[in-house]
Parts: sequence; C-alpha cells; structure tokens
Amino acid sequence: MSPIIKKRGEEFTLPSKYLLFILTGVCIATIVLTFNTSLLNGPVNSFAGIFVVPFQKGITAVGMGLKDTTDKLSSITKLLDENEQLKKQVDELTIANTNLEQEKYELTELRNLYALDAQYEDYKKTGARIIAKDAGNWYHSFVINKGTDEGIQVDMNVIAGGGLVGRVVDVGPDWAKVQSIIADNAAVSGMVLSSSDNLIVSGDLELYRQGYVSFSKLVDDADKVSIGDKVVTSNISDKYLPGILIGYISTIDDDSNNLTKSGRITPAVDFEHMNEVLVLLDLKKNMN
Amino acid sequence: MNIRRFIFNFIFVLLSFILQTTVFRVIDFGGVVPNILLIFACSTAFIKGDKQGIWVGFFCGLMVDIFFGSYIGFFAMIYMYLAFVVGKLHVVLFSQNIAIPITIITIADFVFGFVCYVLMFLFRTKFDIGYYMTNIIIPEMVYTALVAIFYYPLILKIHTYLDELEERNAKKFV
Repeated sequence: MSPIIKKRGEEFTLPSKYLLFILTGVCIATIVLTFNTSLLNGPVNSFAGIFVVPFQKGITAVGMGLKDTTDKLSSITKLLDENEQLKKQVDELTIANTNLEQEKYELTELRNLYALDAQYEDYKKTGARIIAKDAGNWYHSFVINKGTDEGIQVDMNVIAGGGLVGRVVDVGPDWAKVQSIIADNAAVSGMVLSSSDNLIVSGDLELYRQGYVSFSKLVDDADKVSIGDKVVTSNISDKYLPGILIGYISTIDDDSNNLTKSGRITPAVDFEHMNEVLVLLDLKKNMN
Repeated sequence: MNIRRFIFNFIFVLLSFILQTTVFRVIDFGGVVPNILLIFACSTAFIKGDKQGIWVGFFCGLMVDIFFGSYIGFFAMIYMYLAFVVGKLHVVLFSQNIAIPITIITIADFVFGFVCYVLMFLFRTKFDIGYYMTNIIIPEMVYTALVAIFYYPLILKIHTYLDELEERNAKKFV
C-alpha cells in the first residue's frame, strides 16, 4: 500500500523520500530559472539585506576594531622611532615636492597636448569594506558593504592598491558581491602595456596558491613581450575599463601550436590581506 | 516541527553562515575555512532524522547559493542530499557517543568536497585531483572535524532541551 494514503485516525505526514523529490524539483527549477533569467534576484536580495548583511557588517566592524586596538597598543614604541625618522623625511620630501610640482605642471601641459586617454585616476570611485568572504574554499568571491543605495551596479570594476581586483556580479540595496580575477571561474581580457598585444588572464586555484594567475592566447610573433612587463585591462574587454593594472608577467612559455604563448602573471593586488576596496563608478558600456 | 524548533533552526542556520563567512575567515588555516553549515545540517539530520535534515540542509545550501553561488539551488541540492543520507543513519547509529557523529560529519565533508571538485572543476577539465585533495578537501575535512567536536555537543544539548520541553507539554494534555 502506498505510504501517502491517509489512514483513519492517523496524522498525515509526508514520507521523507517524497519530500526529497519535491525539494530536488524545486532546486532544479531554481537552477534553471537563475541560469536563464533574473526573476529571483529581487526577493532573494531583499532577504539577504534584511537578515544577513547587518550581522556580517557588525561582526566585521567589531573584528576590525579589536584588531586596530591590539595593533595600536603593540606598536606605540615602534611608532615613536618611526616618527623621528619620518620628520627627517618630511623635510627631504618638501624639497622634492616643489621640484615635482614644477614637473607635474609640465606633464599636464604635455598630456593636454597629446590628448592622452583618461587614466584611471580620473574615474569616479567609492571606497567599500569587505564584510564577508566566500563560504567555500573553491572560489574567491566576497561581499562588500555598499550596494544600489550608493550607486553601485552590476559589472562595475573593483580595484585595490592600484590593481584590478574584480567586478561586481550581484548587487543588493546595501551590499554587493564581487567576483575576483583570481577565482577559478573568472577570465579577463588583458593587454601587455609595452607591446599592446592582447591576452586572456584567467584565475586558477592551483596557481593562486603559489601567488600567480595564468595567462594564455598571447600572440607575440616578434618576441617583444618579456618577463616583468606590465599587463593591463584591454580596450576590447566589454566589462572591464581599459588601462587598469592587472599585474606583471613572471613566466612565458610557447604553446604547443607555436602560434600563441601562455604563462603566469604576478597580480598587483595582495588578495590575502585585502580589507578595503575601491569601486569604479563608471561602466564600460557607458564609455565612449 | 513546532515553532520553537523552527526558530532554533532558523537562528542556527544564520549563525553558522555568518560564523563561516566572517569569524572563521579571519582565523583560517592556509586559506581554508571549516564548513560549519555542513556540520549543522549533518548534526540536525543525525539527531532528529532525515526529514528535518532535508529541510535544514536545503536552507543551509540556499544561504550559500544566495551569496556565493552562481545558480540558486546548486549547493542547496548538495547539502540536502548529504543531510538526507546522514539522516537515514539516525535510526541505525544514533547514540550519546560523540565519536560516531564526528566521524559521519567528517566523511560527509569529504564527500561534499569531492562532489564540489567533480561538478565545478573536473567538468571544466581540471584533472589534477591530487592537488585539490591535499590543498583543499583534506585540510577542510580536518578543520571541520575539529570544529565539529565543539559545535556538535552544543547542537545536541539544545535539541535534548527542546525534546524535554515537548515531552512536558505533551504530558500536560494527557
């Protein structure tokens, strides 16, 4: 007899295997839905905003506070010594600064003259704090404490310490999820600055543990690209703004097809010790 | 499932998720965090049976999906099936001995890591399983087992307390 038929006087309960089937169906349905549409984003994001993000913000703030105070206490003596040295340095630097200011004036004049492309110092940006990192150990994505309320949108670029960190892939009212370029499922179209050759930078879990990301599909017949060259985001990328520093080439190997090259890049950003990031508020698709 | 148990489960799913993404991220070992959500899902399944395990596992996975998954429902399914299998063991193995649940949680985490590797890496032609084993799956398993030694008794205690409350309430109406 089927176990779901209700017997007289017995409370109706759904056997666990049927429950499992139903929930499996729900899971598959949501996977298909999120794969094809963005219908579920609204309700799910508001749930996250109400229940989880406030706690994550609080805990991160407390953690940072504790770390700050312990750091302060332990480093007072060190700071006193440093202060002495720094005072001397200030004197030296003031002299250097006056020289540089003169040169900067010259530089702006020359830039205007050549009508150089905008450097990323000119992009509008906003600072944000990392409040949670990936729950698993496989990918490297994280959540920051600003969202649509501060004008952040999907596909905005994220930088830290002058280098590219990743891009926003999901956004809620006061949080945003950032996928980093070192994640195993991420790839960026890059360009070698010295020779303007294009290449694909892709994250790799295996390499990242050694401190590298991999690159491939570099077409360099003239052997102009060498170790130590700067790699920046390319002009042809549809998500990343051009000219953001990714890292420096550390090894180059010929591919077996003898047409392209691949190798490793040392990223410019220290992904392990990253607490604050900058979000660039310009979108590539809005730029001309 | 009464309302008290529901609230307890709800709070603990949130708590486990928040611990995993914030506190344990700070005290990780070589970039590896323990899978606290899996500990909670498996513990609940082991203590209360497969049905509650399915629900808790489903919502644990859903938390991961909402924040870090590419598709909603992917991790929910993995957590749910693991909790279901562990829940089936409740009838056979449940006792006050702590060694059994810890072993089960450890094995469950190993299976979780392996399934993740197969679905997310092997399918993208990354074949170096030895590397992933020694650098992610095994360290995560050991760290998870260590945390489970402290986390499981806490969950067990609260469940026993809730059981007692329910029994007392039931007796009142007899």
